[in-house]
Amino acid sequence: MNNVADRIKLREIFLTFAKIGLTGFGGGMAIVALIERICVKEKGWLSDEEFLHGLAFGQILGPFSLNVSIFTGYYLRGIAGGMIAAGGFLLPSFLLVILLSWLYFTYQTLPELQAALKATNPVVIGLILVVALDMGRKQIRSNFKALMAVMAFVASVLLKLNSALILLAAVIVSVGIAAFRRESQ
Amino acid sequence: MAAIFTLAWIYLRIGMMFVGGGYVLIPLLNHVIVEQQQWLTLREFLDGVALSQLTPGPLAMLATFAGFRSAGIAGALVATTCIFLPCTVFMLLVGRYYERLKHIDIIKQTLDGLMPAVVGLIAAAAWNLGAASLAEAREFVILAVGFAIFKFTKVSPMVVILGAGVVGFLIN
Repeated sequence: MNNVADRIKLREIFLTFAKIGLTGFGGGMAIVALIERICVKEKGWLSDEEFLHGLAFGQILGPFSLNVSIFTGYYLRGIAGGMIAAGGFLLPSFLLVILLSWLYFTYQTLPELQAALKATNPVVIGLILVVALDMGRKQIRSNFKALMAVMAFVASVLLKLNSALILLAAVIVSVGIAAFRRESQ
Repeated sequence: MAAIFTLAWIYLRIGMMFVGGGYVLIPLLNHVIVEQQQWLTLREFLDGVALSQLTPGPLAMLATFAGFRSAGIAGALVATTCIFLPCTVFMLLVGRYYERLKHIDIIKQTLDGLMPAVVGLIAAAAWNLGAASLAEAREFVILAVGFAIFKFTKVSPMVVILGAGVVGFLIN
């Protein structure tokens, strides 16, 4: 921990991330950019390099907007800092989702709401489709990777295999390939 | 009480499989919550995805929505905590050991190798959900318009979903 970190109160970490969690509409990368601007540029809590390390590890398990918050919080104040940052970041959305869920399940059967949701449904599927395409363009850079993607698609759509099982198989294959490359270097 | 433990364990398991970004949760949660446990209908699940896009939080807030449906505010709290617990622990460990971890490229390579499968699964989710929930011609028109807006403009999903809601209200 550096000298800057010693002076930062848990309350300030909480409030900073609650503010990010409250105003960071736009999801994923937009939130990471906001965290970077506030924590690296404005407050100087951590360096660009450290932030980028947090970002790299943050893409492994879970949502990286949350993970970068935890990494920053941990960097400043250890485990308590990491957990406070996570809590602050999630709290506004948590409360908002509770409110929206309550409204949804209470008024679900209203014809007006039904009518509105009938049109949001296809849009959600369009969004998922665009995410798949954009991620594919970024991630799939070889014939082998394209084959992996097609196999996962076929396993899910035609063979109706469980997604968790497909993910597990992909983890085993990619760990195997990474280990093999290491050996042959 | 037993129901809460079941709920906790299910979301904890999903949290441990939550790799390669938020959208992988759509096939994972659809399978467990709609098909296996039947905590939500398919329509409610898709409405939950739309609703989670109206908040700044990650898509994983879908767990809050589904948890609320199963067991009210306690269910929402348990589901949210459990789905984020594995990645929180992981990031705290990364924070602790990252000086040593940052040179291990096997982690990065594994993730690289895994991403194509994640892409395939998300595409499959779009296909499966679309096949199960869309029927009318005009729904496909809305799908195409939504697709074009997301693909070719920078309008945020929140605005597009709210806009679609207004359109739906007017035409149905």
